[in-house]
Amino acid sequence: MTGGRADPGLLDRMVGNSLGWLEEMREFFRLPPNATTDADPNLTLKPIGELAQLTQLIAASHPRAGLRAAADRLFAFAWRETREGELFAELIRGEPHATYPVEIYGVFAQSGLRHPAVEELVPATTGLRGWRVAREDRTRTLSVLNAERRIGLAQHTDFDAEFALTGLGLMPEPWALDRRAAYGVTHDVFHLTDWGRDRRRLSPELAGYLRLWLPSWLENWLEEQLWDLVGELLAVAACLPEAPYDPAAWQRLAGAQAADGSVPETGAAPRPADRAEAFLACYHSTLVTAFAGTLARTAPDGAEAGPLAGVAAGAGRTPCESEAAP
Amino acid sequence: MAEQTQGAVALSAVIADAATGVALALQGGGDPYALSRILRQDDPLAPAAVRVLGADALAPYALEHRAAPGGADDEAVVRQTLAAYPPGADASAVSAWSYRGLVEASHAYLPVGDQPWPRPPKAGSDWIGTDPWPKLAHRVSQLAALALPGLAADLADQLAARTDDLARGFVRAVRRRDWLQAAGVGRWLARLPDVPPTLGLDAGLAFVRQMGGADPRVALHVVAARRFHGRGW
Repeated sequence: MTGGRADPGLLDRMVGNSLGWLEEMREFFRLPPNATTDADPNLTLKPIGELAQLTQLIAASHPRAGLRAAADRLFAFAWRETREGELFAELIRGEPHATYPVEIYGVFAQSGLRHPAVEELVPATTGLRGWRVAREDRTRTLSVLNAERRIGLAQHTDFDAEFALTGLGLMPEPWALDRRAAYGVTHDVFHLTDWGRDRRRLSPELAGYLRLWLPSWLENWLEEQLWDLVGELLAVAACLPEAPYDPAAWQRLAGAQAADGSVPETGAAPRPADRAEAFLACYHSTLVTAFAGTLARTAPDGAEAGPLAGVAAGAGRTPCESEAAP
Repeated sequence: MAEQTQGAVALSAVIADAATGVALALQGGGDPYALSRILRQDDPLAPAAVRVLGADALAPYALEHRAAPGGADDEAVVRQTLAAYPPGADASAVSAWSYRGLVEASHAYLPVGDQPWPRPPKAGSDWIGTDPWPKLAHRVSQLAALALPGLAADLADQLAARTDDLARGFVRAVRRRDWLQAAGVGRWLARLPDVPPTLGLDAGLAFVRQMGGADPRVALHVVAARRFHGRGW
């Protein structure tokens, strides 16, 4: 985990192949007519929210123009699918106390894509005392807080206090981490660093903890061939100072990527022949692979110590001066 | 084949009984320890069991006041073992080191009789610097008996440089529910300075004992970590 040098050729190939497959399968992200009524949000809004969250970062920060353009096309597609934000007004009116419409809207708002009706609605729903009732999952609360910050709303609770009680904030015994907790830790890092845009927010203590234990966790989930978690752990590694690069882990993830660019959720399951099923089995891991490859590529000591300049210039958010250093 | 399997089962049972006896002695229970009490000298499997337990067969003698000095019977079974199972020229590092551990323990804990004990054979240590951490941790867990105080000082010095890697191996072993490996690596970590505090070694050893302590060898490693190095609870 320590000595390797990032391989920009491999990383760019993986990102490019992932984006190629996602563009090829774009129709499956399309929202059905009942997206705001009785459709299962886990099969409709979750995928398109993830598409937006991750392609926005790639579009803004990847050093290769062709890959930025491919990610930007997908991001623009996602915005169009939300009917340029109108969808969120409908979702919020339907479920005024649900967090997910606000969380997904925040992704677009961050890059300057806003809808006037939503802007008027959210202060009325997120300003309630009921919005501040503690959620079961503090990692999810971090996501809500991040969305509030992106939209420009008041923070409904203190980020640091919430973070302190998460699976990363408490720095639990590293051998006590189960699968669910592992996804929690990766998302604690993503919310804390705004999905890799502000990697300095990881304190030296947290960075030291992750640097010590990531290799064990990676090894465990490589053995289980749980590729989306492997991708997320590699993304976390790229957020650490000096971004430790594990060539063997990247090679194994590359090996899991099919010729068409898709990355399955798990290595053990046979690839479904049906395209819709293949989409569901692969879209998340494929997106994560593109995201992790981009973070590894733009890490301060990674293949190209490039700045996240495009991101910082985007919409008046925290700039990342340290990453602009040569 | 069937006979071999039966033999292996019988040997496992003898090893398990002996490990239980050693762990009990380390906890201060039972009569004063004597190897010849937990392994019948006329048991044809005794030397093989001692070879597997290695230095741990003599571990209770490393405690002060707990054991009567090893007697002639103990000396006889150890000599028999050393003569019967020397590591060959192409022996694995684990085999060479565990043999060496038994020789070192004999020097340290058994009285010198008429015959001198054999000199500790050389055992290679390049692997300590070159093994990837998962392999290193696995090997070291198989050499847990050498974590006894005073034994294998050079091994301990070299392993200290890879403490973080061994800690990673402990994490991996627990996650895989490989309790024997976890207990073995954990026991070495208990001897090493500068174990990362966030590992939670004490809680980890206790956890491994609760989860995997049905295996007497797991229990033995955890008890030894506690008794000799004060780690775990």
